[in-house]
Amino acid sequence: MARDIYVEFLRLTGFEEEEIAEYLPQWRKASEKLGLTEEDVRFATEERLPAYFAVELEGIRKLLGCFVKETIDLTQASEYKERGVKIVYGILPAVLHFYYALKLTAPEKVFVSFPDIFLTMVLNGFFHKLAPYLEEAEKAGIPYGCRHCALNKARYAARRLNIIPSPDVNWIWGFICDEAPKTDEFIRIYHDPEWKTYITRLPHDQSLGTVEDEVAERVEYLANQMKDGFESAQREIGIKVPEGKISEVISMWQGYAAKLSELALLMSADPQPLGAISGRLFWEGLFTPFNTGMENLEEALDITIREVKQRVANKEGILPPGAPKLLIYSVHPTVPWIAKMFEENGVGIPLSEFFIMSKKQLQPPSFEDPYMAAAEGWLRTSGMVNPGYQAEQICEKLETHKFDGMVFGLMDFDRWLGSSHRLLTRMVEEKTGLPVFYIEGDNWDDRDYSPEALRTRIESICEIMKIRKA
Amino acid sequence: MGVKALDTLEELAQIARTRPERLKEEKGKGVKVVGYIGRFVPEELLYASGALPYLMCRGGEPEPPDAVIPYMLRFMSPYDRAQIGYYLLGMDPVVPMLDLIVAQCSDCHESRLADMLEYFKLPTARLGVPPDWQKSLSREYYQKRLAWLKEKLEALTGNKITDERLKKSTESINKLRDILSRIYLLRKQQPPPIGGYDFIRLNHYSFYCRLEELLPRLDELYAELKKGQSPFPQDVPRLLLAGHVVGVGDYVVPKLIEDSGGVVVAELLDEGMRQHSWKVKTDGDLMANLGETYYSERTPPSIFQPAWEKRADIIRKLIRDFNIDGVIWYQLSFEEIYDLESSLMAKVMDEIKIPFLKLESSYEYSREAVGPLTTRVESFVESVRQRRS
Ligand code: SF4
Repeated sequence: MARDIYVEFLRLTGFEEEEIAEYLPQWRKASEKLGLTEEDVRFATEERLPAYFAVELEGIRKLLGCFVKETIDLTQASEYKERGVKIVYGILPAVLHFYYALKLTAPEKVFVSFPDIFLTMVLNGFFHKLAPYLEEAEKAGIPYGCRHCALNKARYAARRLNIIPSPDVNWIWGFICDEAPKTDEFIRIYHDPEWKTYITRLPHDQSLGTVEDEVAERVEYLANQMKDGFESAQREIGIKVPEGKISEVISMWQGYAAKLSELALLMSADPQPLGAISGRLFWEGLFTPFNTGMENLEEALDITIREVKQRVANKEGILPPGAPKLLIYSVHPTVPWIAKMFEENGVGIPLSEFFIMSKKQLQPPSFEDPYMAAAEGWLRTSGMVNPGYQAEQICEKLETHKFDGMVFGLMDFDRWLGSSHRLLTRMVEEKTGLPVFYIEGDNWDDRDYSPEALRTRIESICEIMKIRKA
Repeated sequence: MGVKALDTLEELAQIARTRPERLKEEKGKGVKVVGYIGRFVPEELLYASGALPYLMCRGGEPEPPDAVIPYMLRFMSPYDRAQIGYYLLGMDPVVPMLDLIVAQCSDCHESRLADMLEYFKLPTARLGVPPDWQKSLSREYYQKRLAWLKEKLEALTGNKITDERLKKSTESINKLRDILSRIYLLRKQQPPPIGGYDFIRLNHYSFYCRLEELLPRLDELYAELKKGQSPFPQDVPRLLLAGHVVGVGDYVVPKLIEDSGGVVVAELLDEGMRQHSWKVKTDGDLMANLGETYYSERTPPSIFQPAWEKRADIIRKLIRDFNIDGVIWYQLSFEEIYDLESSLMAKVMDEIKIPFLKLESSYEYSREAVGPLTTRVESFVESVRQRRS
């Protein structure tokens, strides 16, 4: 019988045999809509996914499957809309509790998604095919030369290409960069008058070192902003979330976060049991809602934890025991060769700082009010606060997971998260005495920074680390 | 512009140039010197506290922004980077003597600049400006930050900012706005008695001269300009200069436009200008009045949301009121928000058939860089002229 590469792709991404029959036509349709050819699917199945993801593990295959299911679902958003389902978008990172609370309240009436993150992760991470989307945005008002963020371009292009419909409400968090919320203003004026946006913002005006979650006024302001945004989103789509729903989601989220912390500890075992890219997608679940639900993701996580525990018990690793281990600010599966290049040069970068929890983050909130709790949680997160407080938290994580050093950078499209890295490099080095490196590059889009361009830098970092550890 | 007007302008330039020495003198007498960054920091409050204000708004040279690269992402605004870059290069006579720097934080570039100021242990107070300006929550936030700033200034100077003092400083700055407005409106004439190169510099000088020195000279200047003598030919193409900021010293582009045969008759610049069309009310709750005018009434800067449709309307109105023939968008490299806005403005201008030229600068004005820039500006001005005739 002739090979069906679409079936093989689904099998590789953890679909059960009985699911494949149901999902195959949807997957064919979705991939066509996304502009993926049979050759792209073959490339993902035979080369890209096996090269970067531990597809020999059932948990990782199922993890990939969660992203495939979510992407298929996203390509059906227009059909949902036609059926009267309310479309709610957001962008990463946001407090996803509110989006899930909407979904849990009216599962059949609401579609929630952060479309750009799935498109970017899947199109580039699995197929290396984000470029046509970026080019679509670049030729239509978001110029190439200014180093705009690929996520924002992808969201815009997805709308231009009719992959996603206009939202009933697009609730955007401008707590980090300015470009994300302003891109939505741009989309509405330049291309789609129906692109309805509500923004929630917080000025970056705290002094270096301020422990922001302990500044009562700031927590309260943020909580009020979140409440205002959430109420507006509910009004827009005519769905009232009952009290208690957010708390329900918070405890669900905390359960998932606790499991991720367990995986983080396993990932930092010696020898490193799993490549950095393989597990990284699990962390998207902390900041990105899945319209298809969290259950599949959690199941994949449970299986992965079991499998990785076994590897740790067997002292099985992707690197030799004692290999140097660096904390990286954030490694993205969209450009998976970066992590692989470190690993091939004998240095592990098992965890991304942005995603792993500090001790304080794992403590229960000090407030019962769900908005205050969410605001406090946000301001406990290292990536969301001033670089002084951020540096403190990073130092704690370096200590907890016994890292030998750290790598910043690869975020040069980001005027907030990426713009402090050179300063952080100095601060963390001054505080810890560990070697801290900076790499100029782009974690979403590798058109500018190819493997050839970054190889020398990565190899020299690895050499330094190996010499120091020897 | 007549000789007398030119002399007045040169006199003001001279006073502005000596600002550092004069600040040093005053500081020696115990007066506090407060630097500030951004249009949301009310100068009225600084004056009312008895401090001497110093606007940090330099630009136009590539070395200062480059000096920041070891500490900050390369793809950040050269303008914001420059505000600390001069200091890092030891080229800033004023920043080392400042008792406080009030740094507006309305966008990522400004906030990262504030991080840098603090990292280098410069005394910094951040003024948070929420960009979601149409919400009451945000308005209250800005108002609270102003109240906090007032207390901070009182503690620094030891002077209470009484209503009386605040009223006085508000009235003086309103006078200044008023005279600048009148000068600005003279530019509706064809040909205008003063071009953009001079008007922008006049705005800059107004930040670095004492009000007592400034107001009479501006009065004189207005009287001179009103006589109508223009340095421009009768058929000069009339241009609008829009964008983020022309920093103090960053005069290559406005000068080039006017050397190429055009004249800038109106500006839509978010920073470095007096925003003279709006006066702050001097009755009732003065702090609330400051908040109202500074945050809610004036043209929203590009970072505010929503802002761009309103800004496009404002540009359309300027085009009508000032009989504009073409728009030059002056953008600094890697300013992502202005870059998005430029695409929208280009589209709007296309719809109303107004020629639009986008210029981008990293403050690199070497001979190699200025050559192509000159060609672009000259051909734009020429095409606008042909359209006009
Ligand atoms: S620039 Fe950063 S914060 Fe902004 S959308 Fe991109 S990744 Fe997110």
